[in-house]
Amino acid sequence: MGLESALEQDGFLTTRVDAVVNWARSNSLMPMPMGLACCAIEMMAFAAPKYDVARFGSEAMRFSPRQADLMIVAGWVSYKMAHAIRRIWDQMADPKWCIAMGACASSGGMHRCYGVVQGCDNFLPVDVYIAGCPPRPEAVIHALMDIQEKIRNQYSVAKDYAHGDRRPVVAPAQPRLLAPEGERLVTPENLYHQE
Amino acid sequence: MSDDARPANRTSTHETLNFHFTPVDPPKPEEGAINPHAKRTTHVPDVVAALKERFGADVHEVTLYANEHTVRVARERIVDIGRFLKEELGFTYFVDLGGIDRFTEEDRFEIFYNLVNIDAGKRLRLKIRVDEDEPVAPSVTGVWRAANWQERECWDMFGIRFEGHPDLRRMYMPEDFEYHPLRKEFPLLGIPGSLPLPPQAPDAPVSLDPFPAAHGSKPIKSYEEPETDLSEE
Repeated sequence: MGLESALEQDGFLTTRVDAVVNWARSNSLMPMPMGLACCAIEMMAFAAPKYDVARFGSEAMRFSPRQADLMIVAGWVSYKMAHAIRRIWDQMADPKWCIAMGACASSGGMHRCYGVVQGCDNFLPVDVYIAGCPPRPEAVIHALMDIQEKIRNQYSVAKDYAHGDRRPVVAPAQPRLLAPEGERLVTPENLYHQE
Repeated sequence: MSDDARPANRTSTHETLNFHFTPVDPPKPEEGAINPHAKRTTHVPDVVAALKERFGADVHEVTLYANEHTVRVARERIVDIGRFLKEELGFTYFVDLGGIDRFTEEDRFEIFYNLVNIDAGKRLRLKIRVDEDEPVAPSVTGVWRAANWQERECWDMFGIRFEGHPDLRRMYMPEDFEYHPLRKEFPLLGIPGSLPLPPQAPDAPVSLDPFPAAHGSKPIKSYEEPETDLSEE
């Protein structure tokens, strides 16, 4: 009889700090709505009651970069605006993530011209791209779920090892997600269908 | 098919659509007839006559297309003509001003002024032409203050300077931009290196390559995630 089953009778469970921190982070993402064009309208729908992103814990849009940890670049980015966006991104506290929403933010879209940056990944580390012009709010929710999946499979406390003593390296904490077909564990490697 | 013709035991699943998919063309108007779709507000022969009487040879050209009067006037007299139109003919509403690059040898640029007389419900389009060697036009901000931003835009996009403008800065492009993008010779995708991109990292210099992502640059997040070698375990 192990420790876990002994504690279970008293209503305790054991886990790893990484798993708990990632669980909390992924379910309380605060988006910084960088609304630049028509995609911002769909982003509003994404936050509004019909699509109700509050189910995912991300309903609190934060217009202050200090309080946000997810930047949604929604719309086309001009060269003039790009500097402001990078500055806001640098002001956001770590850890932070970025979604390029729509064709224009991902690639410049139809604005193939002198004034528009051909994709905001030219100056931002984009985590998830959303296709569409503009994307449906469901697609934005899907991107948010992808970000959550990414957070749940990354280090949270283990990264402190890089600055302190060398300690035994452990695998990143992962939620024990079982695939629908059976006992297969969902890991970052087999997260997407690779039949 | 009407409802009566249908057997009684069959229920209707859709309505019959009763419209023509190809509308019949209306008869062609006779020669010289006024375009029925043209707006009456843009037909202003009395204003054109008043301008011709007052300014004579400075009215260079009057055209009527689709019932719209366009008056091309001398560049030097545009302020006088504007003041006359505003104060004596009631064109108090300055709608728009913009440039046109005709890409011709002489008188390359054209500037149009859209004016409205709100009381009479009349519209007028004025035009002047400026040459490429000396792209200077008098500013009409002294007549209509609304022309301020439009003239800044025209300076930004075509490089036409407006003499007498109180604050002739660029409207859209950064202030240190060296070109005028709506000129015909300006390439559509811009000139590489003329517009800097933001830095790829918090303390890095600005990037002059317009396509760093295509050239393999990956902007970093500000924190570093440690390398993890799982084979040690």
